[in-house]
Amino acid sequence: MIESKNNLKAWLYLAPALILLGLFTFYPLFNAFFLAFVKDFNSITRSTHGMDGYAFVLFDNFSRVFKSPDFGQAVKNTAVIMLVSVPASIITALVISVALNSIKRFQGFLQTVFFLPYVTNSIAIGMTFAFIFHSDYGLVNMFLGWFGVNPITWVGPGASWEAGMTALLIYTVWGGLAFKILVFLSGLQSIDKQYYDAAKIDATPRGRVFSKITVPLLSPMIAYITITSFIGAAKAYSTIIGMFGASLGPEGNANAFITFVGLIYDALEKGTIGAYSVAASAAIVLFLFTFMFTLINMWVSKKRVHY
Amino acid sequence: MENVNSNNKNYRNKELMAKILVYTFLIGFGLFVILPFYWMVLTSLKSAEAIIAKPPILWLWPNEWELSNFKDAITAVPYFRFMLNTVVVAIFATIGTIITTVLAAFAFARLEFKGRDTLFMFMLATMMIPGEMYVITNYMTISKIPLSGLFVDGGYSLLANQTWGMSIIALTLPFMTSVFYMFFLRQSFKQIPNELYYAAKVDGTTDFKYLLKIMVPIAKPTIITITILNAMGTWNAYIWPRLVANKEIFRLVTNGLRGAAHVDELGRPIFEEQMAATLIVTLPLLIVFLLLKKYIMRGVSRSGIKG
Amino acid sequence: MEIKLQSLTKVFVAKDKKETVAVNNMDITIPSGKLIGLLGPSGCGKSTTLYMIAGLLEPTAGKIYFGDEDVTNTPPELRGIGLVFQNYALYPHMTVAQNIMFPLENIKVPKAEALERAQEMADLVGIGELMNRKPKELSGGQQQRVAIARALVKKPRVLLLDEPLSNLDARLRLQTREEIKRIQRETGITTIFVTHDQEEAMSISDEIVLMEAGIKQQVGVPQDVYDQPDNLFVAKFLGTPPINTFAGKLEAGKIMLAGHNIGKVESKTNQEVLIGIRPEGFNVVEKSKLSLPIYMVETIGRDTALIIKDPNDEAKTFRAIVDSSHRIKPGDTVNFAIKPDKLYVFNKDTGELVK
Repeated sequence: MIESKNNLKAWLYLAPALILLGLFTFYPLFNAFFLAFVKDFNSITRSTHGMDGYAFVLFDNFSRVFKSPDFGQAVKNTAVIMLVSVPASIITALVISVALNSIKRFQGFLQTVFFLPYVTNSIAIGMTFAFIFHSDYGLVNMFLGWFGVNPITWVGPGASWEAGMTALLIYTVWGGLAFKILVFLSGLQSIDKQYYDAAKIDATPRGRVFSKITVPLLSPMIAYITITSFIGAAKAYSTIIGMFGASLGPEGNANAFITFVGLIYDALEKGTIGAYSVAASAAIVLFLFTFMFTLINMWVSKKRVHY
Repeated sequence: MENVNSNNKNYRNKELMAKILVYTFLIGFGLFVILPFYWMVLTSLKSAEAIIAKPPILWLWPNEWELSNFKDAITAVPYFRFMLNTVVVAIFATIGTIITTVLAAFAFARLEFKGRDTLFMFMLATMMIPGEMYVITNYMTISKIPLSGLFVDGGYSLLANQTWGMSIIALTLPFMTSVFYMFFLRQSFKQIPNELYYAAKVDGTTDFKYLLKIMVPIAKPTIITITILNAMGTWNAYIWPRLVANKEIFRLVTNGLRGAAHVDELGRPIFEEQMAATLIVTLPLLIVFLLLKKYIMRGVSRSGIKG
Repeated sequence: MEIKLQSLTKVFVAKDKKETVAVNNMDITIPSGKLIGLLGPSGCGKSTTLYMIAGLLEPTAGKIYFGDEDVTNTPPELRGIGLVFQNYALYPHMTVAQNIMFPLENIKVPKAEALERAQEMADLVGIGELMNRKPKELSGGQQQRVAIARALVKKPRVLLLDEPLSNLDARLRLQTREEIKRIQRETGITTIFVTHDQEEAMSISDEIVLMEAGIKQQVGVPQDVYDQPDNLFVAKFLGTPPINTFAGKLEAGKIMLAGHNIGKVESKTNQEVLIGIRPEGFNVVEKSKLSLPIYMVETIGRDTALIIKDPNDEAKTFRAIVDSSHRIKPGDTVNFAIKPDKLYVFNKDTGELVK
């Protein structure tokens, strides 16, 4: 009697959230799988084009994703962003955190400074970075000029893929540092200081303290950050908008820096017959990819994270 | 004896060297983090001539500041209107999120009901799914809410003949709840000792009153954190408003930045105006951050570790 | 290794510039090869002293000598010490063997030799079978031994233990303290351990150093310190149940309690004093001037504790422990004689022992 009363009460408390989640999370999830298998979906009539109901296909929509002209570029860009920016920013953040943790004076101030990128608008800062990398008036080329390097076109018209990607990666690392430093630092601060006293008494060299004590004791945070960063990098999109604008590439070379998520929005904005199904299929591929990645990561960290 | 003393000296010198190295490293990276902000502010104050100076001008005295850039920026793009839109959206979305997540988190943390753990695991699992999977269907839903016959034949569109109110609903409705914040709040609620609940029960306090008078005040820091993070999220929203704000005037701040504005007659970007615009968009966030630093950093690090 | 502390002082300066003197002008010589208990209530500066000997804290003033060598400014790793932390500080991600070998790897001892020495140490402390376990798979007592093995493996000159038994349950505590004594005997290493538990310190130390409020109170063989406390604090801190104190007077060398002469001192100065009588210092006799009514009786097997109203103050009680062969009931009036070697007189203001 009491339990059923409790049951009802609980569902009442859950109702507002569940209704919204049902409408905007659960339903879209199933609908994405549905759309991915609908033939020639017409977004106006909400049915297969030229029909009253739905006709289904098996892999057509997925193969349209793989065959789309930007697919190769999107995969390449996304992969490069994942494989370069994630390790680079994790290692940088780790070293900065350890350094920050070792000092007393100005620690609070520097911590605030390093957190600043977290609270900024990725589009606004992307535009600033684009200007810093401007070929004529930018700071980077001025700096390189001091060392006799000729001006490089990083992001402007005619920029090479390598140059543009370098600028994009630097911006991505910059943007990713804040969160990682904060998490690592709070992890470091929760490590018992006695481990370090013990290491000191045992004449442990600095490098060994880092590799044998700090990193293993921080491994749960490192594993967490690795998973979330890879997933985040797999979904890179607004950083590219920020740097290159909605064309996703330097002038005259649109979509040069398109990413996997870029493919989804491209299809969605086109809104042509079947485009939603392509977007849904691409989103499913992305989901499966990140899911797989998470599983692998969890499996690896189970073996390597010590507790 | 001699030996020990020289060892000491060596040791002190090494310590000092290490300290200098650590500070140099941290200040170096600190400058790297600050640099885009400085460049943004500096550029926004430059005159058209100062922009194209070679090598770039690195410092401006107040009498050289070109404040008209800000006027030009807000003339070209109605940022203040966008800010109003953003603030209204942030308020509604945050209030909605707080109400739905507090109620749901209470049910998950405090009430016993059938299927609680299964439902909670299911919800957590959706956190792994990239938002891109929802966007497609949510866009379809907003453009034609399937309430046949109730408003218009075939469904009610929040996009067609959009009014300001409709745009606000379209922008907020899918973001009125969040599994992540639910999880975050549940953690805070769970830390409140059971005895408090039993004491309240013995005194005849209803569940709802207990939630409102005891749990919410105790979990206030978490709720404040959620409020800030949620509002910051709205400020940075780019994709969803671009999809559903059907009239230029209904868009949010970030959309203004990467529009077609801030260019001269030939379509070339006016950098000083662009940077003035990015500063206008970035500044409110930075001010909020500096005022509420404690809540933001604590919240982010806690959600990072437990999330 | 003889350890000498010379006017050792540590002042902590808080953020608001408030200064706290944690250790005040300590002078001690710790003889070589002995087990020394650094004893005092919490916050008395004993751990601070230990950490200064270890080199983890820098003294504000004073000197520390290991033998003839001034190590005051020597960094911890060059002092040749082993330190066992209160919560052991075992690296959770390493096995027992890896933990014990860690100090040796730091100084680049070849792996085979390191392993051999680690095994030797593990055997010495009785955990030789557990080399491949992780710390969290061990009991508190086993973790403690791993920590001792890790501290000893590099053959330090001095072994320091910070509250080594405080994280163990009562039964393990007894066992482990004997174990510490045995390990110290077998290795002959100069060992200093910090504790707030007087029984623990007295039971295994060769000598104890008693501290209070940053100041050394008394140093000596435990039984001597117990029998001849220099001051009221020492008398009160050692012994359970604690010593009873009464307001009293000295009159021409006679100790007067509530108008009765219960003993004598050498000092002929007449003054008001505090009289201290150990609970076991009461003899039940046929006839005496000190006859007191019994308020309550606690029978605790071997002994009987009598709870008696303070003859000076009805509101207070004190405790006497007598042989349980005396059948005493509450309400009885009992005649007592005071054993002279359990009777002390302290200056009312300074707490110093009056002889």
